[in-house]
Formats: sequence, structure tokens, C-alpha cells
Amino acid sequence: MPTLDAFLENFLVAVDFQEAVEVRAETKLADLPEWDSLAALGVIVMCDIEYGKTITGDDLSSCVTVEDIYKLLGL
Amino acid sequence: MGLSTLNNVRVAGIASCVPKRVLSNLEDCRPSQRAERERLVRNIGIEHRRICQEWQCFSDLALVATERLLDELKWGRHEIDALVVITQSPDYLIPSTAIILQDRLGLEQTTIAYDVNLGCSAYPFGLHLLGSMIASGAIKKALMLVGDKCATVRDPLFSDAGTATALEFAEGAPPMHFDLNSDGSGYKAIILPVGGHREPFAYHHCIPRRDEHGDLHWPADLMLDGVAVLNFSIQRVPTAVERTLAYAGVQMSDVDYFVFHQANRMINETIRKKLRLPEQRVPSTLKEYGNTSGASIPVTISAKLRQPLQNGKRKLLLGGFGIGLSWGTCILEVTNACIPELITV
Repeated sequence: MPTLDAFLENFLVAVDFQEAVEVRAETKLADLPEWDSLAALGVIVMCDIEYGKTITGDDLSSCVTVEDIYKLLGL
Repeated sequence: MGLSTLNNVRVAGIASCVPKRVLSNLEDCRPSQRAERERLVRNIGIEHRRICQEWQCFSDLALVATERLLDELKWGRHEIDALVVITQSPDYLIPSTAIILQDRLGLEQTTIAYDVNLGCSAYPFGLHLLGSMIASGAIKKALMLVGDKCATVRDPLFSDAGTATALEFAEGAPPMHFDLNSDGSGYKAIILPVGGHREPFAYHHCIPRRDEHGDLHWPADLMLDGVAVLNFSIQRVPTAVERTLAYAGVQMSDVDYFVFHQANRMINETIRKKLRLPEQRVPSTLKEYGNTSGASIPVTISAKLRQPLQNGKRKLLLGGFGIGLSWGTCILEVTNACIPELITV
């Protein structure tokens, strides 16, 4: 599923974690040690710039896994 | 309304003043927060900020900027018809800081003086307010003082500054085009919740809670919903810019410089990229001066555009946006303006 792979790459750039982590579609956001408000802002910007999709704070709060964010894009 | 045009108004000069005390976002934090701060600085683009001395008010900075500007313009104090201060950190809750400054600056008692309560969006709204008085023929020369004392050691965004802008009636001056907007449904996005009449300051507001870093937070602290502000900024500002350009009949390529409120790198870069603007035409002072609230447009002009605006004619697009929620755009031409070097006190 190339679009999901590309999204995961974009996700890792957007969150800009200090420590490298492996992220899969099923990775839970809460399990990422550096998932914080700054990372959330980065993801919102990425979704807007790369996919032209506006994600709200409530949208993000409803996401449990990384794939849940991808699904918000409606690709 | 939103869209409007003013004629016969000229920006004669702009001066900006920042405190000499410099805060480093990387050095001035707990050692345990250093790695987190490096990531934060990378993303918000703010390395250094300026902070007032405890005894200094925003108005002290604006006073210095005004005196320098009047001296360099060779304007007499008696010529000033109006003085409007736009701030959210007045000397006192009442009376208006502008009225106190009328006396401190030695302006005539016939001067129209009052404050306007706006933050990051202040600059275009202020140009419109005083520009309207001038364009109507009611007054000839006016001063707009914009800025805030908003820096704290802990918060990595905000920085202090005071600025002065001189406006005058000039027959045949190029038109100024405006797009001014307000959305009060977002008033909670950036708010000082305590101390007004909805929630007067009380004893229980003095009891802080300690966060995971050991820092104390008071119920009366500024509250900022980062996601809401980000989404507001990156959705509304590019659209407003395009709408103002279309209204003014100006092409993107006709504008020499786009000067936006300096919010943070993430927001400003997203706006720039959505508008497909080259970096050279979008000056930034975030790295050195941080987010100076309503002063950030004039501070950026003083720090980055002094030479081009002093010599010849330049078309500018100014974009202010933030607390309120409130956002305004102004397209104007600046010709041979007086722009003193950025002042440090």
C-alpha cells in the first residue's frame, strides 16, 4: 500500500522526534515516547501541506493509532 | 464589510524598540529540558527573545521609539493630532496608556488619545483606524504605538517590543487596501481567563499546580490552544491574502515584501508555502526577536527592510493574525520612509 508507506514517512518527518523510533500503521500514538503537542502540530501542518486536509484537535484526539490519522485523510 | 480602501494616507516612518535583556530558549531552561528545547526551537524557529526589566512597561519602549521617530522626521510635538496605542499590556487597567503618553511625550492637550485592545493582529487594524481619520480629512498627522510586554522566562514564544508608526495626510498618496476580519467564536483560543469581570481575580487564583518538570502554573496564566491557533492561522491567512490581492487588483508578483505577524516558524512557513512565496520576499525576525505580538510587523520592518523602504517606492503586504480571533491584511506602498535603526534600551 504505497500511499500508507509514504504517509508513514511523512509522519516521521512531521513529528521530528529526537530519538529514532520505528512507526507502523498499527503503532499506538500513546506508545510513542515523544508524541506530544508539538508532534501533533507537525502532523496537522503535514496533512494540510501534503494532502490538503484540515485536521482539528478533536480529530486527532479521536485517533488511537497512526493509521487512524491516515484514515482521516480519506484517500 | 471586511474589504476597504483608504486614499491620501502616507506612512511617514516606523521605529521599533526592544529591551536589551536577551533570553536564550536553549540556555535559559532547566538542563533536563535541553533536548526537548532543541526540538522545540527547531520547530518554532525562535532562538532568542527580549524581555523587559521588571520596572519597564511596553509604553517605556514605545516612548523611546516615538521620540526617535519624531526627531528623525523633524515633526514638532504640536503637529500630532492623534495618538493611538494598541496593546494588551497597558500601564494600568485604567486609564488608557495613550493618554498618559500624551503627557509624557509633550503632545498638545488637543491630541486625540486612546487605547485599542488588540494583540497579534493589531498592525493592519491600527493603520485602518488612524488612516480612516486621516483620509476623512479630520486630522493631518498621527502616531500609532503598537506592542506588548508579553515575555516570560518559561514561555518560549513571546518577546517584548514597543513600536511607533507615523502617518500623515498626503494628497495623491497611493491607496491602502484592507481586509479586516473578526471571529469571536474563537475567543478561548488565546485568553487570559482571570482578572476581568467574567472571572475577577480571587484568592484561589494564587494557588499554583506543579507540572512534570517542576514548573508552577497559576489559574490566571495565559491559556493558548496551540492546535486551534495553528489551524486558524494556516487556513484563514492565505485565503485573506489572496482575497485582498484580488480586491486591490494587485498580482502576487507586484508585491515587493510580504510582512506577516511573526507567530512561530511552523505557522509562518506553512503560510508562506501555501502562498508559494519565495523566502527572500517574506522577511522573518523569529530567530532573533521571537513573537513580539502586535509589534512583530514593525519590528520586522525595522530589522529587515530598513534600506529598501528608506530609498524609493516599495509595495508591501502586511498580515496580522491571532488573539480574538482577529486577522487583517493591508496592501500599501511605502515611499522614502523614515526607518531608524532598531533601538535597544
